[in-house]
Amino acid sequence: MANIRFDQVTKRFASGVVAVDKLSLEIADREFVVLLGPSGCGKSTTLNMIAGLEDVSEGSLYLGDALVNHVPPHARDVAMVFQSYALYPHKSVYENIAFGLRMRKFAQEEIDRRVKDAARRLEINELLDRKPSQLSGGQRQRVALGRAIVRQPAVFLMDEPLSNLDAALRISMRAEIKALHQTMRTTFVYVTHDQAEALTLADRIVVMKDGLVQQVGTPDAIYERPRNVFVASFLGNPPINLLPGHLDRAADGLVFRQGEVVVPLGRASSEKLAGDANRPIVLGVRPEDVHLDPSGPLRGAIQSVLPVGSDQYLGIECAQQQVFFRVAKGQAFRLGDHVAFSAATARLHLFEQTSGVNLLHEQP
Amino acid sequence: MASPRWHWSMPNTWFCQAPNPMRKVLIYLFALVVAAYVLAPVYWLAASSFQSEREIVSVPPHWIPHEPTLMNYAAIFRDGDTKVTYETRKERDPASGGYIPSTARDLIPGMMNSLIVSVAVVLLNLLVGIPAAYALAMIRFRGRMTSIYFMLTTRVIPDIALVVPFFLFIQKLGLMDTLWSLIITYLAITVPFTVFILTSYFESVPDELDKAARVDGCTRFQTMMRVYLPLAWPAIVAAVLFTFLTSWNEFLLALLFTQTIASQTMPMVVASFTSDFTISYAFINAAGVLAVIPPVILAIVFERYIVSGLTAGAVKG
Repeated sequence: MANIRFDQVTKRFASGVVAVDKLSLEIADREFVVLLGPSGCGKSTTLNMIAGLEDVSEGSLYLGDALVNHVPPHARDVAMVFQSYALYPHKSVYENIAFGLRMRKFAQEEIDRRVKDAARRLEINELLDRKPSQLSGGQRQRVALGRAIVRQPAVFLMDEPLSNLDAALRISMRAEIKALHQTMRTTFVYVTHDQAEALTLADRIVVMKDGLVQQVGTPDAIYERPRNVFVASFLGNPPINLLPGHLDRAADGLVFRQGEVVVPLGRASSEKLAGDANRPIVLGVRPEDVHLDPSGPLRGAIQSVLPVGSDQYLGIECAQQQVFFRVAKGQAFRLGDHVAFSAATARLHLFEQTSGVNLLHEQP
Repeated sequence: MASPRWHWSMPNTWFCQAPNPMRKVLIYLFALVVAAYVLAPVYWLAASSFQSEREIVSVPPHWIPHEPTLMNYAAIFRDGDTKVTYETRKERDPASGGYIPSTARDLIPGMMNSLIVSVAVVLLNLLVGIPAAYALAMIRFRGRMTSIYFMLTTRVIPDIALVVPFFLFIQKLGLMDTLWSLIITYLAITVPFTVFILTSYFESVPDELDKAARVDGCTRFQTMMRVYLPLAWPAIVAAVLFTFLTSWNEFLLALLFTQTIASQTMPMVVASFTSDFTISYAFINAAGVLAVIPPVILAIVFERYIVSGLTAGAVKG
């Protein structure tokens, strides 16, 4: 059993900075959880606390059923992969992978068997005699993975393991890590600031900002029902379009209004927010949730055309700001052309203007 | 491997410009002058130790001995046992015209004392300095920076200012004229420096190596021994050389705390040669050559470790 439970965990550094604030989170056995957030949000600190590399200032941290606040890293059954790989430069690849087993007093035959197994699995069996300095970035990353998997730990921790790799390698390593999780059948906690990585890998995503958890949920829930403006804008590329304005009453229900721009919100939203007419809000429209419609409310002149291969994105001046909408790649657009879009009402996001809270999907 | 335009020995861009033969000649000429300036006294020391007293004082001086002799060395190793007095000072003239000093026979015991003190100071330095430096570099605790600066501050105070407290301390402990008096005071002088260079070096080792080792199952102590020490060779060698040479050469404190050959070190004994009935340059120079040998051996042994770049490949490079 390797579930992880944070109970009101706070991490305060000697400088007084609170890196993690009253974190309560339960990670199930064999779950793949991704901690996602911008740098300085406390995600790496959270990971380090699981590893035992940082003390817990307040609250309780459990691995399985055991309280581990004061258990040193070497006494926890965790393995970790670092962004910089952190290979021991004076040891060969073999010894790097074997080190954790040697420290745990495994028999030589067992060490040899496991190191060679891992090396074969990661396709680095030709490199076992080399030193880390003789390897490429991708190879070093594989060695770092090997060092973690030979231990067969109860919890597998990864701190931005793919950030130093080039784009193509990053995509293929993502798939390997996902496969690794499926074969190892152990708990994975993965830290990243890359939303695409999080959406691809996670069973559940924990979005963090300034030491506080913003939302916990499946990738789908986080993307479709973001709890606030921060979560909405952190996931998605290009990011969600956010238009400030206010609610207004119209003949067939509530509308979003900002000057000339009037977007009907649909029946479900109108019913939910019936009492809130005139309230200042922020309208969130994902670039893919619109379609071309000559009579649509979201209109403006094209300022940029950004083809991305499968589709293209149009940057248009709308509601006094630049917004991006996705269109099929077949059509030709010229700068300066006027276009109009309608949005799928069921896929609109409405946020409170001051707090940024999602008005349609409020969570307890 | 393509020959690099930049090399560690070229610390600034001035050297990186296109090769200019004239500039190259000038650089070599300058290097030659500096080398001659540094090495000439050492050469004279070595050359004159193989000359007789009469040859040393000849004008013009002989840079290459005309009549090389081992008599000065023979005097140190053989004649050390006989007592020399004012009356007998000329009887066993080692190099026709010179005199052996009355303390000549203390030379070998003095060297042994120096060796014992220096080796003890080096070992104790490493024993204390390595864990202290690891802790200062890797563990964030309250007062960490203050501790580092405090230790450095102790090195700003000149040794002479510490003489009286050191003297009282050693006297009250009843350690006057013992090797311990030197070992203890030399440690006070050298440990801050050792801790400082090792701390800087440990700090330059990527933090994630420490984390990786601890997650891999190392205690703090094992992390230090199995990961940091093998990487810190250049810094450890620097610390060893510094502490050894400081202890080997130290004069002021040795002058204060030692009285007899029970604790006198090499510099004391050699210095005493100049305050005798008369002075034999030939003999003193032979003693000087012997004094130079251990540090030179140390430098040769460790020379290949005085390289950095051992951490290359630890992180993305």
